[in-house]
Amino acid sequence: MLAALRRRMQSWMRPRQAETLPACLQRNRIYVLPTMTGLFFGLLLGTMGLGALNFNNNPALLLALLLAGAAQASLISAHMQLSGVVVDTIAADPVPAGEPLRLRIGLGAHDARMRRGMRLASGNSHVHVEFDHNGGTAELPLPTERRGLMPLPRLELSTVQPLGLARAWAYVWPAQSALVYPAPEAQAPPLPAPAGDAGRAQVTRAGDDVHHLRGYRTGDAPRSVAWKASARRDSLLVREYEQHRSDQLLLDWPLTAGLPHEQRIRRLARWVDDAEREGRRYALQIPGQAPIPMGLGEAHRHRCLRALALMPGEAAHG
Amino acid sequence: MRVRTHALTLLAAAACLLPLLLQLPPALGLGFGLVAILIAIASWRRRLPFLLRLLIGISMIAAIAIIAPGVGRDTACTVLAAMLALKPSETSSLRDGRSLVGFALFAPFAAFLLDQGPTSLLLALAAVLASLLALQQLAYDEAQVRIPAAYWRQASSGVLKLVALGLPLAMAAFWLFPRLPTPLWGLPDRAVAKPGLSDSMTPGGWLDLMNDDSPAARVQFFGAAPSREQMYWRGPVLWDFDGRTWRQIKQLQYMPAAPMQAAGTGWDYLIEPEPTEHRQLIALDLPTQVPGGAFIALDYSTYSTAPLNGVTRWRMRSAAPAAAEPELPLVLRQRALELPTGFNPRTLAMGRQWRREAGNDTQGRADASIVDRALAMIRREFAYTLDVPLAGRNEIDDFLFDRKQGYCEHFSSSFVVLMRAAGIPSRVVTGYAGGYRNPVGDYWLVLNSDAHAWAEVWLPRRGWVRVDPTAAVAPERVFDTLVDRQPGRIGAFDGLVPMFNVGDWLRRGWNDFVLGYDAQRQQRLFNPFGKNRISSHGLILMFTAVAALALAWMAWLLARGEREKDPLLRAWHQLGRRYARQGNGRAIHEPAEAWAERVGADVPESGAPLRALSRRFSNARYAAKDTSELRRLLRDLATHRP
Repeated sequence: MLAALRRRMQSWMRPRQAETLPACLQRNRIYVLPTMTGLFFGLLLGTMGLGALNFNNNPALLLALLLAGAAQASLISAHMQLSGVVVDTIAADPVPAGEPLRLRIGLGAHDARMRRGMRLASGNSHVHVEFDHNGGTAELPLPTERRGLMPLPRLELSTVQPLGLARAWAYVWPAQSALVYPAPEAQAPPLPAPAGDAGRAQVTRAGDDVHHLRGYRTGDAPRSVAWKASARRDSLLVREYEQHRSDQLLLDWPLTAGLPHEQRIRRLARWVDDAEREGRRYALQIPGQAPIPMGLGEAHRHRCLRALALMPGEAAHG
Repeated sequence: MRVRTHALTLLAAAACLLPLLLQLPPALGLGFGLVAILIAIASWRRRLPFLLRLLIGISMIAAIAIIAPGVGRDTACTVLAAMLALKPSETSSLRDGRSLVGFALFAPFAAFLLDQGPTSLLLALAAVLASLLALQQLAYDEAQVRIPAAYWRQASSGVLKLVALGLPLAMAAFWLFPRLPTPLWGLPDRAVAKPGLSDSMTPGGWLDLMNDDSPAARVQFFGAAPSREQMYWRGPVLWDFDGRTWRQIKQLQYMPAAPMQAAGTGWDYLIEPEPTEHRQLIALDLPTQVPGGAFIALDYSTYSTAPLNGVTRWRMRSAAPAAAEPELPLVLRQRALELPTGFNPRTLAMGRQWRREAGNDTQGRADASIVDRALAMIRREFAYTLDVPLAGRNEIDDFLFDRKQGYCEHFSSSFVVLMRAAGIPSRVVTGYAGGYRNPVGDYWLVLNSDAHAWAEVWLPRRGWVRVDPTAAVAPERVFDTLVDRQPGRIGAFDGLVPMFNVGDWLRRGWNDFVLGYDAQRQQRLFNPFGKNRISSHGLILMFTAVAALALAWMAWLLARGEREKDPLLRAWHQLGRRYARQGNGRAIHEPAEAWAERVGADVPESGAPLRALSRRFSNARYAAKDTSELRRLLRDLATHRP
């Protein structure tokens, strides 16, 4: 009931639809209501004022009115803290699903007013904004659940300054989406065999050129376990070998056949990360999208993960 | 809570508590203050255990019950002070801090119920500012605001700004918000009475009052003022004597004033008594006319119909009597001759002897000669002093025959007993004598130290006649003619007297404009504009209008900061807005000159000047600074119209 009322209220509040940045907070989209402290304070002042009126005690009445006037000024002042603030930019680096998206928000202002103690919130997460004459930036963590394009939620910019008696708030609803990569599979088998014949020979050459050790994963050959090194640790360590330049991987959709749809995507994401870490060139072929040619590096990784993130869900895929 | 926040919160609570503590009995005030400080120190890091708090609370209540017993307004305020002194023991979170500040603000409010003097006012103002400062700091804490380097300057200017902004609204509400003509519920009495003129007098009991240099009343005369020697401010009239104490006859209040013939035209004056919480008023000599809400009792003492809890003003007329109550009813005559049996045998014997020697006549000549004889004796043998020993059983005898020293209470009560013993109806009148004229504001100030007691004797045909036996001995003590009784004077140095005069004049203005402002004064607020009475509907309407204006002013002042700070950009944006009204606004991403080109293609006639303006704007903004060009550009931008 209360939640329904709250939803109804939310739907009345401006902005009613997503907007392009920069968004300037004007008077008509800033809301002010007393905080609990403000209500308590108002009750105190009301009691004082009524008593003073009853006894015609003018100093007491002046005292109550002085406080009430200052409280009222703080109400307007809280409104003014927000009004004129401009939300210039919002950006976020893509993260794997499940990890918090770090939303970077750049704020500015049209005027030179002193602003302090602003708070930026969305859902359960919030962050305090340091605001000076040139504006301010804030980094708001947003929880992510699933891969794909995540439309940004309504962000709430609020303040209880200057006295904590009133809270002014305004919503910013950026018409922007953040990309969320698929979460890489945690327990994935090692990278598949490289494309072409040359690759096989590379594996059998194992034993030379130890590059570094990594944690054991199911499917690793017992031969490759570094027993001596593992004995010093609690977990099994596996040798990884330097790969040759010619060692090229083709991460193809059918390689993951037999797994559920989403897990196939997560495994490919994992393999992309692994290949990137091991410095092996790789290509990605997934249905519904143009194949991504061989490559290596941050831009290539981003391209592959983006393609994976944007893959349609199973139902659409059929 | 940060350390600074904790400290500021406690400081605000202390500032709130201070004016209240000053109003309590000194032992309690000092004790509670110490307890509050100790508790604040002990609970700095963590809450005190509940049992300890309970124990301290109980002992504080016990202290109140012992030192100031009784149930009344002052007791309630004392309990509030005790609770507030205890409250810092549980201040750890922001919420605790806020509730501490909120509740603490009741303390200055309670102090005002006990005292509305300037000290309380100044302290309360300081308390309000400290509380706002603490609230602001609590809000900083909530938002984890970094503390700026110039903290005190910024924080205090922020608070002062808020108060200044709220002031017009507060003032509008103060003057125009409809007041209650009669209280909805009464103000409880104090459990412990303040010193002042009371309805009884025990000789030797007024020493506190006579050393109290605070004002008792201020009087402004319209027309002639009486000479200082005529200034007898009549208070309670005391008839009954039980050997120790003189008392009023309460029933006389309910009888109309006795008939009286005035000598001369009398005096017209406005008297403003300080609040006494009694209904007793004071009036010059014999009052002949009092305003509504006041009445004159049979013995010419005046009363208000309601206790004087606040500052009040009374426009009265008084006159010296040619004959006051020339016919004395028998009941009153007997009452005015009554003496307790078994007290003061020597005085009674002397009175009877004097009567035998003077004889009896209906003209009252014998009575007058007895009065003169007594005055002559007093003038010859007696001396004035405030240093008197405690009264014995036969106090009048001791005074008249052995000690022969005392002050007005002794002189007047002994004189009346002696007169009664001689068969002359007489009574004690208490009140004030003399006054100090404040040249600033031209009004008279009656101080509590002017408290006085004199006698009235009833003589045939003349009625009640005032006799002041004290003035026979020490007129300078009665009328303050000595320079060293000047208020504000310290020893031989009278440089502070002008300051005192101005200070008291300000105090009177404050009393007049603020303390004495009530429903009646509010209704007369628009008298100067020819409107005699405003209905409460009219007041509410006016209040709403003025409050709306004040709110709009607040909003405007605060919004003014929204203006673009750079004048060039401001003018440029204005220009853009003018074009936007014609549908040719500059898009936010559009460079100045590209915009001018686009507009020029659209509206050829404003194209060339706009192109020139935008080029000059770009130059001024991004190229070298040239102040005279900047000034010209600003003017051109302001005058250009699409």
